[in-house]
Amino acid sequence: MNKKVKYELIWLVAVIAILGISALANYNYTLSASKNIAQPYNGDPSGVVINVTGYQWGWQFEYPNGTTTTDKLILMANVTYTLIVTSKDVIHDLYIPQFGVQVYAVYGHTNEVSFTPLVPGTYIMECVEYCGEYHYEMRGEVVVL
Amino acid sequence: MIFSFELAIFGSTISVLIIMFLLLYFYAQDYRKYLLEGKQEVIQERSQENAILSNMKRELSFAAFFMDDSKSIGIRYIITSLLFFFIAGLAGVGMRISLWNPNPTFLTPIQYNVLLTEHGTLMLYGWATGSILGLGYYLLPSMLKIKSDKLGHLNSAMFWFYFVGGVLLIFSRSTASWYFYYPLTDQLTEAGGGSYSFAALAGVLLILTAANVASIIFLKMIFFDRDKSIRLSKLPLFAWSIVSTALLILSSAPVSMVADVMLIYDLINPVFFTGSNGTALGYAILFWFWGHPIVYVAVIPAFGLIYELLPKYANTKVYSYKSGVIGLLLLMVLSGTVWGHHLFNSGLGTFWDLIFSTTSFLVAIPSAITVFNWIATLWTGKIRLTVPMLFILNAIIDFVIGGVTGVMQADVGINELIHGTYWVTAHFHFILLGMTTGMAFAAIYALFPTLSGGRRYNVALAKAHFYLTALGTYVMTVPWALGGFQGMPRRVAGYFGIFQSYQDAAAIGGIILGIGQLIFLINLVYSSTKPISVSNENILESEVIYGE
Repeated sequence: MNKKVKYELIWLVAVIAILGISALANYNYTLSASKNIAQPYNGDPSGVVINVTGYQWGWQFEYPNGTTTTDKLILMANVTYTLIVTSKDVIHDLYIPQFGVQVYAVYGHTNEVSFTPLVPGTYIMECVEYCGEYHYEMRGEVVVL
Repeated sequence: MIFSFELAIFGSTISVLIIMFLLLYFYAQDYRKYLLEGKQEVIQERSQENAILSNMKRELSFAAFFMDDSKSIGIRYIITSLLFFFIAGLAGVGMRISLWNPNPTFLTPIQYNVLLTEHGTLMLYGWATGSILGLGYYLLPSMLKIKSDKLGHLNSAMFWFYFVGGVLLIFSRSTASWYFYYPLTDQLTEAGGGSYSFAALAGVLLILTAANVASIIFLKMIFFDRDKSIRLSKLPLFAWSIVSTALLILSSAPVSMVADVMLIYDLINPVFFTGSNGTALGYAILFWFWGHPIVYVAVIPAFGLIYELLPKYANTKVYSYKSGVIGLLLLMVLSGTVWGHHLFNSGLGTFWDLIFSTTSFLVAIPSAITVFNWIATLWTGKIRLTVPMLFILNAIIDFVIGGVTGVMQADVGINELIHGTYWVTAHFHFILLGMTTGMAFAAIYALFPTLSGGRRYNVALAKAHFYLTALGTYVMTVPWALGGFQGMPRRVAGYFGIFQSYQDAAAIGGIILGIGQLIFLINLVYSSTKPISVSNENILESEVIYGE
């Protein structure tokens, strides 16, 4: 075997090994935590269900007891929640950085995502899909009690 | 909406543009006649060397706008794309300054959004696409020893499509961002997609038409018009990169063009992306089918330029020609399959998430082959640190950083954390600033004697341009990446106060970058006043020696 080809193959094998390990880790995580990743709503939510509606420019949260809040999500620690997210107009994207929760809000389409907040405190929440003039004000806070 | 004031305005804008277009054409014909009749002796003197396309010398001058040979078309694209680059860059600096404070003070949210859209569309469609088409038209005839080019008029018309498209992008005042996502773009209000966002869509359509026709012409040049002495196995690597780019454009751009037309149709009669037989995500999917390949369209020709220039400044051969070609062609094939990674959180479902994330890991392999090839070439060579070489080395480093930050995003779990944040912005600015823009400048500096008709650029100014560009890139993008990892959102006119330090650092970086580009302009003007002092030979024309 040519020396040049040998070096190239060594490099290629190393790259493929690193990428392969990353891809396997990704595969493993995605399958084991698929509830934490945005999915089309399949009618079988786990835990407490909160209906979320994005609109220009704000978020509305509807809790199981019928109360609603705007731009403020109130949660209890160590309880599993399922957000069922849709939009009234354009495409929005609900994002809670500290929880790793991100889900698109699309008109005429419902997505779901589940998560369990662990540590009480106040966190930030944002819209990260560009949605018009006051896109940047479409943000709020998540309070975990 | 059946008829509206906006549509009436749009119709009349287009008619005025068409009239302008026709007038311009007749004036151009007139000017050509004048050139041919008035300067008969000069023309005859030059006709000998100008008879063969590959030997033509064309300078950066406005005379190129009245000549139809491939090299003049290339010059036109280079001049116009530089113009678009500076307009879009100004928009970028304006956005940076506006983000100094958490609440918008310098620009209103609408103004910010207009600049956001202009910066994105003009940089990608005007600068990246335009400079690539320009370098393709300019370099391919010499590299492939093409004797004549009979499609000059078509090329010329396509250039004007591109030009008018860019002008429409600038003046549409669209606030829809470069995605033009469905329900927003069709909200014809200032608060939605902008009152004239369809004009921007028309601009994108015009530019993509030009890119498609140019791709066909490039493929014709490479496979049919090249000199018989150049066998396919000896084709320059830049030509291979253009093959890869052209096929990528032809296979994916039409999908986005169809989606754009549907979007314009939905303005009048909404049937495609709404109602019982459509979804708003339908547009997003059609868009990203092209939206991801375009970033490869922007980098693959830069890879080709590195392959051509690197051996010249490292005094050696390309390490491996074969793996270079394989890398470029594999990039084309694999990059067509990864577009879904832009929509991981939109509800594609676990199955499709996994497929797209796996293909996104795969696309890193040809990039790694290419980077190895460059490093090995540098390793075996003797490096001369000329200005183009500085840009090349910076491009390789930036590409590695941009690539590693990019492949991280392919992981579905990490993607949830960083999608839609400045992390992504940092990732693609490393690549588009370091690789696409850097290599366009490297090519301009390397070709400077030819482009300026035998003048030298001022080396000190050129080095200042390089160092400010490289420094500005890091000062701007590193805070973006750090802030983005903590959830700093993209495309916002204002932000939470906790992110201010990152935004301020990035603003300083943006201003440094802007000053760097001004130095480039100063250098152009300065050197144009100097006398002709060197041979105007094209260094990319001289024979390239590849390894086996």
